[in-house]
Amino acid sequence: MSTREGLSALRRRLRREADGDGLGLTLLSGAIAAAVLSPVAWLFLRVTDVPTAEAVSLLTAPSTTRVLTNSVLLVTTVTVACVLLGVPLAMLTARTDLPFRRFFTVVLALPLVVPSYIGAFAFVSAFGPRGALADLLAPLGVGRLPEIYGLGGTTLVLTLYVYPYVFLTTRAALLSLDAAHVEAARILGKSRLAAFREVTLPRIVPGVAAGALLVALYALSDFGTPAIMGTDVFTSYIYVAYNGFAADQAALLSLQLLGVTTVILALESRVGQDDASAYASGGSRSAARIELGPWRWVAALCCLAVAAVSLALPVGVLLLWLFRGGPGYAAGGFPFDLSFAVNSVGVSAAAALVSVLLAVPVGYLAARRASWPARLAERATYVGYAMPGVVLGLALVFFGVKFAPTVYQTLPLLVFAYVVRFLPQAVGTTSSSVLQVDAHLMEAARALGESPRSAFRRVTLPLIWPGVLAGAALVFLTTMKELPATLLLRPTGFETLVSYIWQVQEAGYYGLAAIPALTLIAVSAGSMAVILAQERG
Amino acid sequence: MTEGGRDGRSRRRFLAAAGAASATALAGCNGILNDGGGDGTGAPAAATFDDFRGSGANIGGRGEITGTRVADLPDLSGQLNIYLGGGEGGLYTDLLSLFGQVYPDFEPNVRLEPSTQLASKIREEQSAGGSFADVFWAVDAGSLAAVASEGYTRALPDDVVEVVPDQFRPDNAWTGVAGRARAVPYNTDQLSASEVPDTVREFPDTAALRDSMGWAPTYGSFQAFVTAMRLLRGDEATRQWVTDMQDAGAAGYANEFLISNAVADGELAAGFANHYYALRVKAQRPDAPIDLAFTSGDAGALINVSGAEVLEGTERVDLAENFIAHLLTAEAQEFFATRTFAYPMVPGVPPVGGLPRVDELSPPDIDLRQLDDVGGTIDLLRETGAL
Repeated sequence: MSTREGLSALRRRLRREADGDGLGLTLLSGAIAAAVLSPVAWLFLRVTDVPTAEAVSLLTAPSTTRVLTNSVLLVTTVTVACVLLGVPLAMLTARTDLPFRRFFTVVLALPLVVPSYIGAFAFVSAFGPRGALADLLAPLGVGRLPEIYGLGGTTLVLTLYVYPYVFLTTRAALLSLDAAHVEAARILGKSRLAAFREVTLPRIVPGVAAGALLVALYALSDFGTPAIMGTDVFTSYIYVAYNGFAADQAALLSLQLLGVTTVILALESRVGQDDASAYASGGSRSAARIELGPWRWVAALCCLAVAAVSLALPVGVLLLWLFRGGPGYAAGGFPFDLSFAVNSVGVSAAAALVSVLLAVPVGYLAARRASWPARLAERATYVGYAMPGVVLGLALVFFGVKFAPTVYQTLPLLVFAYVVRFLPQAVGTTSSSVLQVDAHLMEAARALGESPRSAFRRVTLPLIWPGVLAGAALVFLTTMKELPATLLLRPTGFETLVSYIWQVQEAGYYGLAAIPALTLIAVSAGSMAVILAQERG
Repeated sequence: MTEGGRDGRSRRRFLAAAGAASATALAGCNGILNDGGGDGTGAPAAATFDDFRGSGANIGGRGEITGTRVADLPDLSGQLNIYLGGGEGGLYTDLLSLFGQVYPDFEPNVRLEPSTQLASKIREEQSAGGSFADVFWAVDAGSLAAVASEGYTRALPDDVVEVVPDQFRPDNAWTGVAGRARAVPYNTDQLSASEVPDTVREFPDTAALRDSMGWAPTYGSFQAFVTAMRLLRGDEATRQWVTDMQDAGAAGYANEFLISNAVADGELAAGFANHYYALRVKAQRPDAPIDLAFTSGDAGALINVSGAEVLEGTERVDLAENFIAHLLTAEAQEFFATRTFAYPMVPGVPPVGGLPRVDELSPPDIDLRQLDDVGGTIDLLRETGAL
């Protein structure tokens, strides 16, 4: 009796302490969320410059409605397409006897490292009305290729470069799935399809939803691809207002965009209630692989086709630029320097490190507590991810000059901008790996006399480490290719791979963009290796 | 400003000669191969006049260059923070390197970003009470005016800018340093020079151009062109023109270099673009079937400028003004003319051989400051659905 009473007293004490601890953690989480949300305040500040009547007419103008519809349409088609592409590819590489599985896992994840503005450009130069493919097919009597510009083409290109988010999260969910459940269903006489639908699917939905969320917000905030592919979306609308020196209008439209973001975030939190197994893996026992029979070679061909258009194509076009000589391609004024690559890696690594440090408390709290402040803080970190880069950049220009002139145009402010943009990627991986850690392990450690902090350090942290590292790698590779905030906030004279690529492309010297772009892809591919190494595939 | 232009036919085909010249001009070697050709006097020994001049066949036709020389001005010395608009502005860093050769103590601290972005940025900086650049050097007048109209510039002294025609230095708030003309690049396999209309107004009704014209509604220079049309013909006529162009199947592109390339590829019969993009295409592909036409007296003949202004709050007023004086020297003007194919802003330096002189074009009578009303243009383009 006394033992039992003693135990329950201990448990009560632990819970009380945990609650106390939780308060501190909640405050910390709230502070982090407030910090990354702060640029939104600039939007409100600028919006007050717009007279109400003008604001109403701008927000309800037919063209505003049209681009808003386009954006929502694009987000929907891209998200659906990414799920339709990413989930089967994840199934093939994680659950079947697909040949060259390891190779395909790596290759199918790699398109994520290609900046979409390079991918889109490569696509246009290959499949455009007078592109390389048209030249190739013309002698065969193929007069006209399907239209590549417009919503269809934009959806296609965006999908090919961002589906890896869904691919990665779905793979992780599949790998962490306990095979015993599927086997039980099969033993009970369920067909393979029924077992998938009734057992596997419900368990991987949160993982798919986490990837789909990143895809949706990316599609909403991307400017480069729709601009090159000729689709008018909300970001191009904002960009034009911004270029017309109408910062107030750009702010107003950005707020409307954030409204759409909020809707997407709310939708995702309904689907992915618990973001179980979004990225990191930790399944107890992997299942027997599904045997595809002769179909395995068909599947391999499909995987190869996806890799060819999404990865081989842009690399091929870059190589073409590199080797197509001629005086026009060798302009003065833009000497490439290896230090650009070092700078890129440096700021990206710093952004990854800071993001992880901030993501751990936010992600841990969101996973451990169902309280609304915890959820709200976690959701709030996603807002920056959906803010167009130029708008975020201008907000930080104003606040930087106003409140922290000493850090303006220095690396800390630049890194902060990256963190605001990409923190959710680290938060997502962290919270999903926390969910996979059995909470009783912490309690056991506490019962054995560890302080909360050291229990976290000695028990939880090693277990969530793969997820944290995967988050860091995602932040790293997206920072490597970030353009607008980099241009606005980098220290004067500090050039990175992307700022250099921008300069030479603006001036029309595509040949000079090839080497830095290939370097960018190679370095980012290294961080992708880190993500995949965390899997137990 | 006569309808039809004075010698419209003769000035249409000039790129064949200029293209051959520009192929080498762009390579931009430092004048080692140029033995003679320039008069070479005046500049200090560290960099000769020839170093500023692009190399190539156009040099032979340069004639006499007059104007203030670098050697006539006080030395540039110390650090100068320059916000430099991107695009062909990237080529301007070459000019800064040349100044660096002349003045080893001169330390230009250059920040390259798109011109409009820098203008927005300066406005944010100044409205938050800070000044981080001494000079803003932008590739379009609208960006310069957007900063000047908020009162964030210091008026330039007369003795620095008096060589520049008045219309390119309104109120001395800023000054043009190099001009660029709106032009119509066209595919010579698909059109003859005479098939390109002489006024922009006729474009939508020209059968040969139907479904094969390109424009770049999101591009700053195109918006400046539409702004000019609004100033000349009013919003209603402009709106009608934009609508007619859409009905005639004008295709949107992200920028005008892409348009010029698409024209060279035969994807388009003609398009709207700045004049130097076709020269760039020609420099890269000397055999490309592309040439330039110019309209007369309307918005299609607008001459916009790349220019510079001194920003309020700078602690280096003298250096900043002296720097702008250097941009207007014969050496710098020769650089703009022969390396970026721009129109020089001082009368003593002619444009490169193949290009019509500024006074041979028929630009519209427009106050360049008014080009900062981009907002109204954007509204119009949006209402018509072109954006």
